[in-house]
Amino acid sequence: MDELELLGQVDPPAPGVLDAAREVLWSAVAAEMLATGPAGPRTASADPDRSAQRRREQPGA
Amino acid sequence: MNRPAETDGTLIERSARGRPDAFVEVILRHEVAVHGFLARRAGRQVADDLLGEVWTRAFAGRAGFDPAHADARPWLYGIARNVLRAHWRASRGGGRRPGEEVTDPWDEVIDRLDSAARAKPLISAVRALPAEERDVLLLVAWEQLTPAQAATVLGIPQGTARSRLHRARTALRPVLAGPGPDRKGS
Repeated sequence: MDELELLGQVDPPAPGVLDAAREVLWSAVAAEMLATGPAGPRTASADPDRSAQRRREQPGA
Repeated sequence: MNRPAETDGTLIERSARGRPDAFVEVILRHEVAVHGFLARRAGRQVADDLLGEVWTRAFAGRAGFDPAHADARPWLYGIARNVLRAHWRASRGGGRRPGEEVTDPWDEVIDRLDSAARAKPLISAVRALPAEERDVLLLVAWEQLTPAQAATVLGIPQGTARSRLHRARTALRPVLAGPGPDRKGS
């Protein structure tokens, strides 16, 4: 099977190629993070730290 | 003390539960391998062009990944395969009949292989294989997958992948075990 493996050898991609593809992914990631907020879909009640911070910032809430 | 590395499954699960950025770590692990998968089948230029499409499709579909799988490569190769098939379908101008199977354009693949001139008998034997056997064989030989992982890529039962691999290896054995003192029959 070694000969078959040799047949499939290709050079690694240029660094810029990987960077460009990562940029495409990051755009999708960023869009989702913006849509859901930095804490994602967690609710305030499910995130004690954020709930406490919100109470400090909005004491009347 | 270093923590053990998280599995792909753990990272993808986390990315689907409010931390989408965790998905990027999975891609960093496998980007060279997935580019190689594309380049072996469609050439470097097409691989360069399609890699980002693979990532966005994988990211969009990550909720469907089974986090019990530690290695995401079979899943990513399956997505890359679908992206390639869509590319081939589009590049041929939709000249196929509805439902007609799109397979690797093997003649074009061969033309791109640098080592083609040195291995004509082997190439002829691989070309003569049925497409479904060739798919399994090359996933194992080129992508270093197990037959079970190849089955995941192709969406077929593991037993089917094993039997196809066995038939392909049997067909290639005369070529791989041909004349020459250093030939191996594996």
